[in-house]
Amino acid sequence: MNGWLVAAAVLLAGGLGAAVWGVATGPLGRRVVTQNMTTSLVCVAVLLLAQGYRRPAYVDIGLELSLLGPIGTLVYARLLADDLRPDPPRAPRLTAVAAAGTAAVVIALAVASGPGRAAVKLLLVGALLITGNVVASRALAGGIPEEARHE
Amino acid sequence: MNDALVVICLLLVAASATAAVAVRDPERQALVLAVLGLSLAVLFTVFQAPDVALSQLAVGSVLTPLLVLLSVRKVRRGAGPKTRRGTGPDRGGRDRTRPDAGPQPPGGRGGRDGATG
Amino acid sequence: MSRRLRMLLLALGGAGFAALFAAACLELPHFGAARHPYGERAVHAALARHTANVVSAVNFDQRAFDTLGEESILFAAVLGTVVLLRQTRGERQVRPEPVAVARPVRRYSLVMVPVALLTGLYVVAHGQLSPGGGFQGGVVVATALHLLYIGVDYQALERIRPVGGYEVGDAAGEAAYLVLGAAGLLGGSAFLANTLLPYGTFNTIPSGGTVPLLNAAIGMEVACAVVVLLARFLDQAVEIVDGSGE
Repeated sequence: MNGWLVAAAVLLAGGLGAAVWGVATGPLGRRVVTQNMTTSLVCVAVLLLAQGYRRPAYVDIGLELSLLGPIGTLVYARLLADDLRPDPPRAPRLTAVAAAGTAAVVIALAVASGPGRAAVKLLLVGALLITGNVVASRALAGGIPEEARHE
Repeated sequence: MNDALVVICLLLVAASATAAVAVRDPERQALVLAVLGLSLAVLFTVFQAPDVALSQLAVGSVLTPLLVLLSVRKVRRGAGPKTRRGTGPDRGGRDRTRPDAGPQPPGGRGGRDGATG
Repeated sequence: MSRRLRMLLLALGGAGFAALFAAACLELPHFGAARHPYGERAVHAALARHTANVVSAVNFDQRAFDTLGEESILFAAVLGTVVLLRQTRGERQVRPEPVAVARPVRRYSLVMVPVALLTGLYVVAHGQLSPGGGFQGGVVVATALHLLYIGVDYQALERIRPVGGYEVGDAAGEAAYLVLGAAGLLGGSAFLANTLLPYGTFNTIPSGGTVPLLNAAIGMEVACAVVVLLARFLDQAVEIVDGSGE
């Protein structure tokens, strides 16, 4: 029995299950916020899996996701800006919870892997993920206006 | 433990894939597609196929949504400003499910979604 | 042929296929089993050529010819997009006005462009060692450039994206793969055979013979192909409008 894998399974069953529901139903604002939060959730789950399987190379998946996930949310913020403007989705509490959760898990993983390059990489992924999540939330809350056009 | 993870991931992929088909509006579909991509990436990780997971993330997290949304934007713009504001007699305007799209019975959405598909 | 006969023929064929398929499935290695006949041979061949990432060894050594086919599919698909999405008569270009992106988003994007570029290159360069490779890294590199459109401004992207150069890069990546394959032929061995270069020290970047080179060629091709592909889509969505409507 492996505690890391149990944690990942619980996170996926609860969090990602809720995310599928949240992204498939409800107003557009809630859906984009859910998409943003799913990035953090899946990234943390992948890091837990990497530790659970004892495969430090899998951290690369988390690294890539921590970079591309927030960029993906920025795509929605940019190209759905028109639809989001009437009611910009703000989720400060959810963003704070995601950031705190990410920080807690990443620090626990870094401690478990011991000092060294692996721990530095984990902390880097965590920092990228939290920054990206916060910035993407800001972008969704009206950070990117729709572009005008010379006619 | 690994079997449980595999089952959870398969169920999540099945659920999000079904949702991606059931949602009819392309913009919202792109959002569900992103979550489907993430579920698939986790599934591949659980199957110990990190290369495939990386490919899935590379394509699914930015490239696919960008292509879908740019195409939607072009098509909507080509349809003219009338359709854009949702006032025209269009069947599948973008404002179908927007809360400010006008008086619309809450129950009518599903039916119209089905009709436009 | 009557309808009845046709249905009979179909049923016969279907039944035959079902029987053979079921028989083949019974012989398959069990799902998730620790031993797998193909897997063991692939791992053995990869280790013999000092390639730490077996998937890369399969892609760029044992099945390098298949990868050539996949690369060509992407190349052809992008070529088709370029032809289909060109600016036609009756359409004209307008310059999009700059947008005022919120400062934290803008700053994040500007910082993340080099970080994402570096990560993409890292994924390409370590393809023979750890999960990843030319395709994954190439897409990350191309995505990094488009962060300038998403988070800063379309004109910022245009400044670093002379599409002509990326079209040349796309073709050069495809050509490099072919030339590397032909080099094997000239070296007295088979097309794309990994016998030309020393295999190097296991688990270092220059290990695996031609694997890192083919990997880099794919990385270049994919990165440039995605940039060209997105350039066409962006042109259509942002710049090109129907001339008659204005």
